[in-house]
Amino acid sequence: MVTGSAKVRNKNGIHLRLAGELVKAATRFHSRITVTKDGQEVDAKSILGVAGLGAECGAELVFKIEGADEAQALAHLIDLVDNQFAQETN
Amino acid sequence: MDDANAVKSEMTFSGIPASPGIAFGEAFVVNVEDLPVAEGHIRAKEIDAEIEKFREALAQTEKELKKLVRSLEEEIGEEHGKILDSHLMILNDELVVNETIKMIRDEKVNAAYALSLVLEKVLTTFANIKDEYLKERGEDIRDVRRRVLRNLMGQRSEDLTNLRKKAVVVAKTLTPSDTAGLNKKFVLAFITDAGGSTSHAAILARSQGIPAVVGLNDISKYVKPYDELIVDGSSGQVILNPTAETTKTYREAQARYQELEKELLTLRDYPGVTLDGHQIELSANIETAEEVEDVISHGARGIGLFRTEYFFIARSTLPGEEEQYRYYASVVKRIPSDPVIIRTLDIGGDKIARWVGELREANPFMGWRGIRLTLARKDIFKTQLRAIFRAAAHGNVKIMFPMVTVLEEVRLAKEICEEVKDDLKRKRYQIGENAEIGVMIETPSAVAIADLLAREVDFFSIGTNDLIQYSLAVDRGNARISYLYDALHPSILRLLRDTVAAAHKNKIWVGICGEMPGNIHGALLLLGLGLDEFSGASYLIPTIKKIVRSVTYDEARSLVRKALTMGTAHEVRELVDRFIHEKRPELKEFLPEASS
Repeated sequence: MVTGSAKVRNKNGIHLRLAGELVKAATRFHSRITVTKDGQEVDAKSILGVAGLGAECGAELVFKIEGADEAQALAHLIDLVDNQFAQETN
Repeated sequence: MDDANAVKSEMTFSGIPASPGIAFGEAFVVNVEDLPVAEGHIRAKEIDAEIEKFREALAQTEKELKKLVRSLEEEIGEEHGKILDSHLMILNDELVVNETIKMIRDEKVNAAYALSLVLEKVLTTFANIKDEYLKERGEDIRDVRRRVLRNLMGQRSEDLTNLRKKAVVVAKTLTPSDTAGLNKKFVLAFITDAGGSTSHAAILARSQGIPAVVGLNDISKYVKPYDELIVDGSSGQVILNPTAETTKTYREAQARYQELEKELLTLRDYPGVTLDGHQIELSANIETAEEVEDVISHGARGIGLFRTEYFFIARSTLPGEEEQYRYYASVVKRIPSDPVIIRTLDIGGDKIARWVGELREANPFMGWRGIRLTLARKDIFKTQLRAIFRAAAHGNVKIMFPMVTVLEEVRLAKEICEEVKDDLKRKRYQIGENAEIGVMIETPSAVAIADLLAREVDFFSIGTNDLIQYSLAVDRGNARISYLYDALHPSILRLLRDTVAAAHKNKIWVGICGEMPGNIHGALLLLGLGLDEFSGASYLIPTIKKIVRSVTYDEARSLVRKALTMGTAHEVRELVDRFIHEKRPELKEFLPEASS
């Protein structure tokens, strides 16, 4: 199992569309992936789980990933939140 | 509970009359509340069938959503489709699907109830989110839930884009994005729970000449799909399941209304001149280029307000200069000798567009809108001005800036106009170099500095809808306080008087482009106040023309002098009523029901 964290930097946080993008990215991997915010842990492949975290700008997300492609998955998801979401205008 | 087999009895609802005319038709119900779901237990042998039913409802909903995504992408642009992409993901969320199936199996309850419980749990999580914006996404989940439940319970889905035959549209409320994909030729009438006479549904209805009643409180709870309705947009009455007798009465009223309409159209080719020879320009407001045909057919002289934002809203990318030029020019070329007043982009407020980014403001009506937005986004502003100056080469175009509150805005906007003109000339474009430049007077601040503004521009156009809402501090869409929204309030009459005085003292003309001239009280007072131009929805022009042609300027002026001494809107209204009854009884037919 690998773990790693990323910070939400875009203005409106992980809203529904971004939650969708995160889920789409997570679903591409075979590993079991969860994401935790302030002690609340959800399945990263469920849009309602991820959007339900209410991850606002500045929140820290912790990924726990277990499976054959866990290393690639972690790198990809952290890049997505840390870099790509950060460029969102809302 | 209602018995489905019981004879439906007639019910009458009273709301705010928002657009005149009488319509008969079946209900098309949109945006209704969550469906009530009852807990129902199933037997063990029914479990598999219930799960199958659930999967079918999901598949059906997915099909509907995909269709909606496609039609939104085609009609308004890709961005709108994207929003529903997340709805598709919610629908396919394994967590929800699996938990619902598990609950059907373990608890032996029906699918609708199981899904409701599972989603209720998710919604509780959303309700606990602290961030207001993220919390609101719960609405998307409710939207998806509504769709699935509708399919589970065997009810047809009702999106406005699904409107394929003529019907009366019934909704809690209608926003510009609700009506964006709507085929207007299928709408017989609009009726909504919320809203005042200047809400989006009301304005849309009036611009299309479709009857509408708004502010009906809870009518959407009573009306079921396909119920028969009569909508009287002149009196504000809506009749559900009318009896044969009621229908007959309204058919007669409709015939009389159409007769009057026909009579008014005979005035089409006459000017707006009073009995003693005072002339008023009567022009029309339009939202789309095609409406120029309505302007011509109703006998308006030119366009007093060409709202350009709808061209921008109805798409996902910004329109370029060429495209805007062709669009504006198509109107100008159709009526080359008549004035066409093009208002630069007035976006923000209730007309949120996706392409400026999601505009989230606590108080959008006092926020980033109108000229404030275009001065901040000069790229958008310059492109639009270039297109307008080029279109101006084909006729009599005037340019107008919305939402002005300070002098610097006008000066800056004029500088940009000069810059744009110089550049166009250098590049050897044909332009309408002398296009007049004016400002909207729609904030109390603009009225207070009207004398200063008048030195900077060629004309004023008073936007009464916003001026009233800003002056009286009344949200025009809020049914609880919409009674306070009154154009005849003494403060409004004084603001109008002062604006006209400032304009005429500086030798510029002043028009009005709100809803105020659309009723007889407003029309008579505006005439007497000395306005040079009235601009209203095309269908109103024949009525306004008839009123103007039935009185003298002299008596309208003396009426206004008296009105300005009145203490309340009620007294002003009574004064005008008395004038009509005593001096011009032939105008009684234009009085709203309550005062005739």
